[in-house]
Amino acid sequence: MPTLIAPFGNADWLALAPVLVVAVAPLVVLLADLLVPRALRRTSALALTALALIVAGIVSLQGWGHPFSAFGGGFQAGGFTIVFQEVALLGALLSLPLAGRLGRDDQTGGGLALLLWSTCGALLMAGASNLLTIFLGLELLSLALYCLCALAAAPSAREAALKYLILSSTASGFMLYGMALLFGATGSAQLAALATGSGSHVLLALGSGLFLVGFAFKLSLVPFHVWTPDVYEGAPLPITAFMSVVTKAGALAVLARFAYAALPQADAQALLIPIWVIAALSMIGGNVGALAQTDMKRLLAYSGIAQVGYVVAALAGTTPLGLRYAMFYLVAYAFMNLGAFGIVGLLSRDHEEGSRLTAYAGLGHRRPFAAAAMTFFLLALAGLPPTAGFTGKLLILASSVDAGYGWLAGVLIAGTAISIYVYAKIIYAMYARRTGTAPEAQAARRPEPLRWLGVGICAVAVFVMAFYPLAPSDVLPQVK
Amino acid sequence: MSPYVPVAIFLGVAVAAATAFVLVPGLVARRKPNATKSEAYECGVEPTSDVGGRFPVRFYLIAMLFVIFDVEAASFYPWAVQMRALRVYGLLEMAAFVVVLGIGYAYVWRKGGFQWR
Repeated sequence: MPTLIAPFGNADWLALAPVLVVAVAPLVVLLADLLVPRALRRTSALALTALALIVAGIVSLQGWGHPFSAFGGGFQAGGFTIVFQEVALLGALLSLPLAGRLGRDDQTGGGLALLLWSTCGALLMAGASNLLTIFLGLELLSLALYCLCALAAAPSAREAALKYLILSSTASGFMLYGMALLFGATGSAQLAALATGSGSHVLLALGSGLFLVGFAFKLSLVPFHVWTPDVYEGAPLPITAFMSVVTKAGALAVLARFAYAALPQADAQALLIPIWVIAALSMIGGNVGALAQTDMKRLLAYSGIAQVGYVVAALAGTTPLGLRYAMFYLVAYAFMNLGAFGIVGLLSRDHEEGSRLTAYAGLGHRRPFAAAAMTFFLLALAGLPPTAGFTGKLLILASSVDAGYGWLAGVLIAGTAISIYVYAKIIYAMYARRTGTAPEAQAARRPEPLRWLGVGICAVAVFVMAFYPLAPSDVLPQVK
Repeated sequence: MSPYVPVAIFLGVAVAAATAFVLVPGLVARRKPNATKSEAYECGVEPTSDVGGRFPVRFYLIAMLFVIFDVEAASFYPWAVQMRALRVYGLLEMAAFVVVLGIGYAYVWRKGGFQWR
């Protein structure tokens, strides 16, 4: 059997290069954790992880403009994949400054290795064009995350991990069933074969429905969102930040590829209507849920539900323009969300995360820079100028109206109106109230250059992206 | 939908059989319980305690580690059978597999995962 030996060529491995970098790096991190002296362990683990993520980012960019199908159609290299891979790598990299306190001292190495493997899953999902590759990437992403959620001393971390494990596994079950039915409809696990196949319509509808339910859960879209606030609240801060960007990037890549490339043209619009309705529900439900929150992490969880709703709404009608704007908004969301989490990290002290909303009262007087940055990120999340959030929403409105989904645009505006109240409330508390804890002495705080660097990068990106809405134009042909 | 008829029949038989196994004994069986009959059967040995107690988490840790390396050993069999057909490619694949697990093994060992504290 000659086909059995080395069935893959160099091009296949080249397509997978960024994934391989991030897959091998954790082994180095683990070895370093064993060999490096105790005092240097945390620093070396963080440095190696950051290095691996940066190298993977550079390697991934090398493939720009050379779309091709690797592993017999299992993995798709090209611009579409690269955009989502870069977002995932960026999310992982910018949550690292928060990871200084990831678990106990002896857990940092293992934790960061798991974080890299989780990122590896997201990178795989970004290029997955086969049901099996999708599932492989998703499980790699999720399994590492279950452990990472529990990496904190608080009992709520274990609660978060258990909830996430059980609910996420249930969703995986739904998705797997959907995949089985999709396979049954066409007899192939390739997404491209689903699009061209003339299989049973009932199986296709059932399968894509179950598949979308699974992904709506992973993307925490209403009504499959109830796990999100609890998990976000319980998980350690760096992991919450990581989860809010990296899992979304991976899952959105699959959802976009499924919507654009996997469904027969004739049925696609009808089969996808539920996901647009779910997006509309998320835009309203996420923002309404955020109204009553008293914890910053829970609030950002609800905010994230709405934000992902905006991204999915951009895909409505599966127009090329919609995909570009969805990608633009995803990148903008990554920056503004990680920026907001960065500020939460700055306000955290050793044994207390700065996530209670009461900690923000009077912040404008105590820590003007942190408050100013937080205000900027909240304005961006609300979608007000001059931020990337505003530009992104404007583009999404334009594309969804253009695609004939005016009602989604209307829901988006209504959701934004609610969200402005949510964010304005915090900004008001930061500046108007002088209550809250006594002013901290500047000297008592440890300088945190890395966290400020992360926040600064996010702030600059959110500002610059507001005026240069660059969205790659040559990506759509590379989806399939 | 003819290819699915056997599936439907299979499903029907399975549901019917499972339902019958649950319901029929309750309807027709004679019940004459005594103390010995009501006991949990445990390999013929008299049960010493309730099974609902709590185990130290270390049991699960050891069990998990065992399963991981057990699966590793099991993965060698298909390669061993097809070793000649797979040639160098197979050897390299297995080497990569063993190196990954070896690093995991070293990590667990150094972190004290095998110590019964």
